[in-house]
Amino acid sequence: MVENSPAPLPERAIYGFALFLGSWFGFMLYLIWAYVPETWLFSLGLTYWPQKYWAVALPVYLLVAIGIGYILLFGINMMSTAPLNSTHTITDNYAKKQQWKKFQEEAIPALRDIPISEVNRMFFLSEKGICNSR
Amino acid sequence: MEERRYRSASGGPIALRARQHSASCRELAVRCPRLQLRSLSAVTSAVWLAAYGLFVLSQNSMVLSAAIFITLIGLIIYLHFVKIDQESLLVIGSLGIQVTSSYASGKESTTFIEMSRVKDVVINEAIHMQKVIYYLCILLQDPGDPQGVSEVVPLFQSSKPRLDCLIEVYKSCQEILEQRKTTPPSNGIK
Repeated sequence: MVENSPAPLPERAIYGFALFLGSWFGFMLYLIWAYVPETWLFSLGLTYWPQKYWAVALPVYLLVAIGIGYILLFGINMMSTAPLNSTHTITDNYAKKQQWKKFQEEAIPALRDIPISEVNRMFFLSEKGICNSR
Repeated sequence: MEERRYRSASGGPIALRARQHSASCRELAVRCPRLQLRSLSAVTSAVWLAAYGLFVLSQNSMVLSAAIFITLIGLIIYLHFVKIDQESLLVIGSLGIQVTSSYASGKESTTFIEMSRVKDVVINEAIHMQKVIYYLCILLQDPGDPQGVSEVVPLFQSSKPRLDCLIEVYKSCQEILEQRKTTPPSNGIK
């Protein structure tokens, strides 16, 4: 899979340089549009440009959106966390439908989801605790 | 009947009292610390100072009366609906499990779950408010489907004991729940 490696290639160097030039050109264009007075631009014949209001408004919108994005992501995470009384903290669809393979001697036991009652008995009821729970 | 001191998940002191009424009946009660005078006076002073600041700015004396009302009514609502003094668990082997919360104003709210609906009492761990906490919960089953868990009832929600206290309660409950398997279920209560 040679095409998927992140190693530098000549094509990637060319893309990178083109993006670099393009972003510098875009930045210079933005500065010219924001600072050069409208009358000078009109005298050059460039009349169909957006209002200069947007030269300030768009960066402000972007920064406020980034700030709200932090809070929104935090809130969405908290909303998607299962509440303490939901069965999703115990099991899920895959565990309910799993098959129970028969136990064979001298073989590694098959992977399965151990029910929470068994796990609790092993942790908390065994005489010598396997985990040193205080 | 003895009382042992433990800590809650947020670090406050709680006390566990275990009583054995008979061979198949146990009561476990977790007591939270009472409302502290210093936190009450801190909140009251903060609200009244803020109201006085507003009064100085706006010269409207209604602000002060409103602050007094808000403080009184807020305290009554807090004591009656929010502040839980004691949460107790009564496990009766053949009958069921009763969960009681008593509030600071004296109100008690009780829930009873009959034994045929109880699958097990386990210590589960889950994410709660950017922390992973251990909590005790009752797993309920549908009478028709003994393998599946239909509902999870978390216990000791406001006192939130830590793992050492939960292990004591868990061992106590398991001793009674194990008797269910050894004695055959009586068909009298159906």
